[in-house]
Amino acid sequence: MEPDVIDQVTASVRQGLIPAYLYNDAEVHELERSRLFGRAWTFLAHDSEIGHPNDYVVRNIGDDSFLVTRDGDGQIHVMFNMCVHRGMQVCRAERGNARTFRCPYHAWTYKNDGQLAGLPFHVDAYGGEDGFIKEGQALLRAPSVATRNGMIFASLDPDAPDFETWLGDFAFYLDFYTGQTEAGMEFRGPQRWRVEANWKIGAENFMGDSYHTPHTHASVVDIELFGEPKPYKRKEGVLWNAGPAGGTTYKLPPGSDFRSGLAYVGYPDEMIDRMEHKLSGAQRALATEPGFMPSASTLFPNLSFVHNWPQTDADGRITPFISVRLWQPVGPGETEVYSWFCVAADAPDDYKAASYKAYLMCFGSSGMFEQDDVENWVSITTMAKGSMARNLLLNNRMGLTLDGDPIIDQFADFGGPGTAYQGFGEHNQRHWFSLWADLVSQPAPAREPIAFGMGETPA
Amino acid sequence: MSTARSGAPLPYSDPRHQSAEQFLVEEAHLLDTSDFEAWLGLMHPQIRYRMPVRVTAVKATNEAEVQTMDHFDEDWYSLSKRVQRFGTDYAWTEDPQSRIRHHVSNVRTFEGDDGELVVESAVLLYRSRGDRTAPSLLSAGRRDVLVSTQDGLRLRSRDIEIDESVLRTQNLAIFL
Repeated sequence: MEPDVIDQVTASVRQGLIPAYLYNDAEVHELERSRLFGRAWTFLAHDSEIGHPNDYVVRNIGDDSFLVTRDGDGQIHVMFNMCVHRGMQVCRAERGNARTFRCPYHAWTYKNDGQLAGLPFHVDAYGGEDGFIKEGQALLRAPSVATRNGMIFASLDPDAPDFETWLGDFAFYLDFYTGQTEAGMEFRGPQRWRVEANWKIGAENFMGDSYHTPHTHASVVDIELFGEPKPYKRKEGVLWNAGPAGGTTYKLPPGSDFRSGLAYVGYPDEMIDRMEHKLSGAQRALATEPGFMPSASTLFPNLSFVHNWPQTDADGRITPFISVRLWQPVGPGETEVYSWFCVAADAPDDYKAASYKAYLMCFGSSGMFEQDDVENWVSITTMAKGSMARNLLLNNRMGLTLDGDPIIDQFADFGGPGTAYQGFGEHNQRHWFSLWADLVSQPAPAREPIAFGMGETPA
Repeated sequence: MSTARSGAPLPYSDPRHQSAEQFLVEEAHLLDTSDFEAWLGLMHPQIRYRMPVRVTAVKATNEAEVQTMDHFDEDWYSLSKRVQRFGTDYAWTEDPQSRIRHHVSNVRTFEGDDGELVVESAVLLYRSRGDRTAPSLLSAGRRDVLVSTQDGLRLRSRDIEIDESVLRTQNLAIFL
C-alpha cells in the first residue's frame, strides 16, 4: 500500500469513516500482517491448558506457529515451532505432553525448554563444533512474552511496549473475566472453526456493538434463552473503554450491590464469596447502584471476551458463563475463530457444569448467539470485496454530532476507569480503529537476520 | 448414556438392523426438510447429544485424554431451544435457509443392554448457503443408542465423531 493511501485510510478511520474495502483486501491484510501482528501483544494460551509439567500446546500468531510449553520445572516457554536446521515444523500435534520434540525431517531434537539436545552425526557430518556450534542453540524464542491472570501473551516485536503498561486500565476489567477468584481460571477448548469473514469485524463487534444485540440476537430473547438484550435494556448499558480495550455492560436492577448483582446474573453464593474476596473494592463498586455487569469486550487487536447469563434448564435456572476468543486472520476474507470456555478453578462442580452448558448454548461453534453474528460478518466480508466498496465509507460515528462532539456527556457515575457512555454508540469501535491506525501507519521495524550454529548465540 | 454393544453387527436381514437403518434415513429426511419439531419428537426425553472437539495429537497420545471441549453437549432442553429458535422470525443464519443433505451410510447395528440398539453410522452433511460462498462439507461418524418405545424407536444418545479439528463451516446451525 502506498504511504499516501495509508495516510488517507488512517485519517478516515480516526474520523469514524471506514473504507469498506478494509474488510476484504489483500494489501490491507499484508499491512496488518507486517505492521500490526508484527508488533501487537497477542494471546496464545492459558496456563491451565498446560497445567502439568511437560504439557504443551501449539498456537499461532498470524501465520507463525508457536510451541507453548511447560518444562519439567514448571517454567513456561514460547518458541517458534520451526526447526532451525531446515525449517520443518517441529511439533505437528496441537497438544500433548512431551519432554523433547524431535524434528521428523533429520531428527534434530529439542528439549521442551527449546534447547537443542542433539543432532545426528554432529561429528561425522559437521565436524562437531568446528562446523556447527551446538552448545547453547535453541528454538527461536517468541521475541516478547508476558502473562496476566494465567493468560500467556506474546509479541513478535522484541521492543514491544511493557505489557502491563500497555494493558493499562483494562486490567481492572480483565479480572471480571479471568481473575474472578484466587484459584485462577480453567480454560476448556478451544473450539476452532474457519469463517469467511474478516477478523476485524468480530473484534470491533465485541468491543462495543451493543446496538446490534436487540436485532441480530432477537431470536434468543424470543425463545427466552437470554432476556437481557431487549432493546430498552440494552440501551441502559454503559460502554466503557480503557487502555487498548473496550466493552459493553448491562445495567443491573435498581438498588444492586456487588452481591445482589452477582446473584442476579446467577452466581452461586460460594462463587460470590470468592469473588468478593478476590476483587478490589473499586472493582466490586462497578456492580453497586447504579450497577453494571460486564458483558462483551475486546482487547486490541483480536482477543475478545464475553460474559452472559442465559437460562440453562427448563426450570428457569440462570447461569453465567465466560468465553475468551481469538479472531485469528487467515487471509483478507477468512478468520479462524478460537473460542474457549473458562470458569473459576475453585467453582463448585455443579456450577461449572451449568456454566459450560450456558456457553455451549450461546457462544462458540454451535452457540445460538454466535450463529447469527457470523452470518452477518460473512456477508459484510463478501460485500467488501467488490468495486463499489472501494469508495464507500462506512459510518462508524454513532454517538458523535456531525461536528465531532459527543451527543451526550460521559456517564459520571460509572464505577470503572476509562471513558464511559450510557446508551448506544460507536465510541469503542472508533477507539479500536484508532489503535489499528496507530500500528498500520508505522513501518515495521527492520529485524537483523539470525544465523544458528555460526558462533553467535542468538538473543 | 453409554450402553455396551455386544457381539458382531446384526446381519442386514435382521429386522432390528432394518428398523435402525430406516430410523436414521427417516431422521435425515426430517433434517433435510427442516422439520425440526418432528425431529425433536424422535429424541428420548433423556437424550444426550454430544460432539467433542477433535484434537490433533501424536499417535502415542490417546486423543480422548487431551480433549477438553465439545461442539455440542446437549440435553432435551437445549435441543428444544435450538429447534424453537429455528421457528422464530429472527434466526438469520438460516434465513434464507441452507440447502442441506445428510448422506447416511456404513450403518452397523449391535445389540445393546436391555433391548437397546447401538447403531454406528457415517454421515456426510453437504451445506450450501446463498450464492456467494462455497458449500461446506462435514463428515462424521456417529454412535447412537436407540430404544424401543410404544411410539417406535427413539434416540437415547448420540456421540458424534467429527472428522475435522478445525471446522470449515460458518457455524453449527445444523444437526448431525
